[in-house]
Amino acid sequence: MIFSTLEHILTHISFSVVSIVITIHFLTLFLLVDEVVGLYDSSEKGMIVTFFCITGLLVTRWIYSGHFPLSDLYESLIFLSWGFSLIHMVSYLKFKKHKNNLSAITAPSAIFTQGFATSGLLTKMHQSAILAPALQSQWLMMHVSMMVLGYAALLCGSLLSVALLVITIRKAIKIIGENNNFAFSFGKIQYMNERSNVLLNTYFLSSKNYYRYQLTQQLDRWSYRIISLGFIFLTIGILSGAVWANEAWGSYWNWDPKETWAFITWTIFAIYFHTRTNTNLEGVNSALVVSMGFLIIWICYFGVNLLGIGLHSYGSFTLN
Amino acid sequence: METLLNPSKTPNLFIPKTHLFKPYFLHSNFNPQPHSSFNRRPLSITITCKVKTSQGRKNDGKNISKKIVLTDSAPELSNEEIKAKPKGGGKAWGVIKKFPKRVLAILSNLPLAIGEMFTVAGLMALGTAIDQGESPEYYFQKYPEENPIFGFFTWRWVLTLGFDHMFSSPVFLGTLILLGTSLMACTYTTQIPLVKVARRWSFLQSADSIRKQEFSDTLPQASVSDLGVILMGAGYEVFLKGPSLYAFKGLAGRFAPIGVHLAMLLIMAGGTLSATGSFRGSVTVPQGLNFVMGDVLGPTGFLSTPTEAFNTEVHVNKFYMDYYDSGEVSQFHTDLSLFDMNGKEVMRKTLSVNDPLRYGGITIYQTDWSFSALQILKDGEGPFNLAMAPLTINGDKKLFGTFLPVGDTDSSNVKGISMLARDLQSIVLYDKQGKFAGVRRPNSKLPIEIDGTKIVIVDAIGSSGLDLKIWALQDGTTVIVGGKTNRAKAEFPDEMNRLLDQVPEIVESSISKKPDNIGG
Repeated sequence: MIFSTLEHILTHISFSVVSIVITIHFLTLFLLVDEVVGLYDSSEKGMIVTFFCITGLLVTRWIYSGHFPLSDLYESLIFLSWGFSLIHMVSYLKFKKHKNNLSAITAPSAIFTQGFATSGLLTKMHQSAILAPALQSQWLMMHVSMMVLGYAALLCGSLLSVALLVITIRKAIKIIGENNNFAFSFGKIQYMNERSNVLLNTYFLSSKNYYRYQLTQQLDRWSYRIISLGFIFLTIGILSGAVWANEAWGSYWNWDPKETWAFITWTIFAIYFHTRTNTNLEGVNSALVVSMGFLIIWICYFGVNLLGIGLHSYGSFTLN
Repeated sequence: METLLNPSKTPNLFIPKTHLFKPYFLHSNFNPQPHSSFNRRPLSITITCKVKTSQGRKNDGKNISKKIVLTDSAPELSNEEIKAKPKGGGKAWGVIKKFPKRVLAILSNLPLAIGEMFTVAGLMALGTAIDQGESPEYYFQKYPEENPIFGFFTWRWVLTLGFDHMFSSPVFLGTLILLGTSLMACTYTTQIPLVKVARRWSFLQSADSIRKQEFSDTLPQASVSDLGVILMGAGYEVFLKGPSLYAFKGLAGRFAPIGVHLAMLLIMAGGTLSATGSFRGSVTVPQGLNFVMGDVLGPTGFLSTPTEAFNTEVHVNKFYMDYYDSGEVSQFHTDLSLFDMNGKEVMRKTLSVNDPLRYGGITIYQTDWSFSALQILKDGEGPFNLAMAPLTINGDKKLFGTFLPVGDTDSSNVKGISMLARDLQSIVLYDKQGKFAGVRRPNSKLPIEIDGTKIVIVDAIGSSGLDLKIWALQDGTTVIVGGKTNRAKAEFPDEMNRLLDQVPEIVESSISKKPDNIGG
C-alpha cells in the first residue's frame, strides 16, 4: 500500500510542477516580461524537480511490481514523459551557457503525455499488472526503453522543426504584405520577436528578420541534433526488437503492424537525413519531412495499438 | 541567443574544448546572405601568416567538405573515373561500355533514392491498412466494385497488384531491389571516392587563397607550430610543411555512411537468403506423444535442402505452466527429449517462451499451447479421455470445453455434463440444465456429484505448440523436400470436432488413432 500511495504522490507532484513551469513560460511570453532571470531559474528548477519525481515514480513501480516498468501502455506513457524530461535535463546541463528554449517544447510534451496517462481514459491500467510470458526477457529493458526514448527524442526534434516551419511560413506571409500584430501562436519561444513586432518593414536585413533568421537557424540545428540522437535510439530499438523476436517467435521480422510502422518511421527520418545532404533542399523541405514524421510517430506509437492485433497487442486498449 | 548576436571578431580563436557547438559560434565573419555560410558545416579557420587550417566536424551522415576539396564536384569527377567493365575492344562495345556508367549515374541520383524510400514507406503503410493473407472473397466484400473507396479502389487493384500479400508481392520486392541497387551505386560512386579525397592532403600556399576561405582570421604575432600543437590537443591531425599547415578532423565521419549502407545491404542479402533457403513448420503435440522433425518442416523457398537432423524424433515428455498467485499464467514449459534414428536419446531440455532448443541447425520454439484432453472417471469407470475443443481464443486468453453425455446417447437431443477450462488448473462443471455445478482441480481426486453421476477429474492433458526453424543451407542445389507436412496440425482440430458428437467409447479408440497421424 505504501508504494501505491507513494506513486500517487509522485505523480501528482510532477504533474503540478510541470504545469507551474508551463504557466511561467506563458507568463513570460504574454506579459512581455523581459526575461526575468529569477523566473527562468525557477522554471529550470521546476523541470529538475519533475525529472526526479518521474524517476521516483518509475523506480517505485519497478520495485513494487518486480519487473521493469514498461509492460503496458500506461507505463510506456510515463516512460515517454520521463524521456522528455531527461532530454531537457541533458540539454540544460550540457549547454548551460547557451541558454536555449528547448524547455518550451519538452515541458508541455511531458505534461501532456503524463496528463493523458493519468487521465480517466486509462484508469483501469494504473495498477501494475502481471507480465505475460512472452515479455519475461532481458530484452524487454533494452528494446522497449530504446524505442520509447527514441520516440521522445524524435518527437522533440519534430516539434522543433514544426516550429521552424511555422516561423518560416509566417515570415512569408508577412513579406507578402499582411500585417499581423498578434503574438505567435507558438510564441513561447520568441520573446524577442514580440518586441520587434511593432516594426513594420519588409527589408531583408532588418533587425527583426535578423533575429528571426537566427532563431530559425538555431531551431534547425537543434532539431537536427536531437533527431540524430533519436534516430540512433530508434535504430538500436528496431534491431534489438528483431533479435528478441528471433529468440521468442522464431523469425527476425514478421511484418507486424507495429514493426512495419516503426520501420516506416525509420525510413521517413532516413529521408530527412538524405534531404539535408543536399544544401538546396535544406531548411524548409527537411522540416516538411520531419512534420510528416511527427504524425507517423504518433500513428506508430498509438494508432497501431488501437487496432489491437498482431504480436504487439500488449499495449492495446479499447476506448470505452 | 545572446552569443549569436555578437558578430564582432573574437580573437579567442583557440578552441581546445571539443565542444560540438563551439566551432559554429566562432563564425566571426557574419554574412547576411541566407543559406550561405550557416549551412556549410565544416568551417575552415585560416590564419594569414601563411598558415592554414581547416577543420571538419564529426558528423553522422553529413559529408564533411573542406573548402579546398569541393565535394560538390567530386561525384561528377568520380563518375568520369569509373572504369567500365572490361568488355574487349571494338567499336560496337563502345556503346555498351558506357551503359554501366550511365546506369550507375542514374541510380546514384539522390532524389531518386528519396523517391524510392517514400514509395517503400507508402507501400508498407498500405500493407498495414489492407488486411493481409485473406481469401479473395474477403476482398470482394471489402472493396466492392459497386462502391469503390476513393472512387476507384476496388478489389481488382488489390488482387492484381498483389496487395493481399503485400510484403512478398512483386511490386514491393521490386521497389526494395531498386532501393538496394541505388544503395550499391551510391556507395560505389560517391562515398568511396570521398574517403579517398579526404585523405589527400592539400596545402594552400598563398595568403590570398587562405583569406578567401569561409572563415579566416589574422593572428599578428603568432607562430605556426604553436597553432599546430594546440590543434593536435584539440584532436586534429596536423600536417606541417614549411610555413604551411594543414589540419583536419573527423575522418571517421566519412566512413559512417559507407558502414551504414553496407550494413543495410547485408541485412537485405540475409533476408533474401533466409526467404529462399530455410525451412519452417509448426506443430501442436499433446503431452506424451512424439513427432519426427522432417515431417513437420516445410521449405520456404527454392533453395532449401534438408539436413541429417531431419530424421530426429522429438518426444514431448511433459507440458506444464507456471502460475502467479493470482492464477494468471506466468510461463509455459515443455520438456522435450530428442531421439535419433537408433532410438538413442541425444538431447533433453525444457523449453519455455524465451528459451528455445537448438540442435543440429534446427531451433524449436515454444509458441503456443492448447488443451488436449480431460481424463475423467465416471461412476468409477474409466478413465475416459475427453477431448477438449477450443471455444474462444483471444490472444492469451483461451477457453476450452468438452461434453460428457449422460443417459440415452442415441437420441438426437443428447444432454450431458459440460466442462469448461481456461487453463490446466481448474475445471468448471455444469450440469444437464447448464447450471453451474462446481469447480475441480485435476489430480485432486475429489469427486463431484452431478445429477446422480459421480465424476472425478483425474488429469488434464495439455499439448504444447511448437515452432521449428532451420537455418542450414547446402550448396544451393534445388532439391525440394517433398510431401509430408504438418499432418498433425491440420487433422487434430477436425478430429476433436468430430469427437464431441460422439460417446466416450469412440473417443477412446480415436485417441489411440492419434499416434498414427503424428508419428508417421
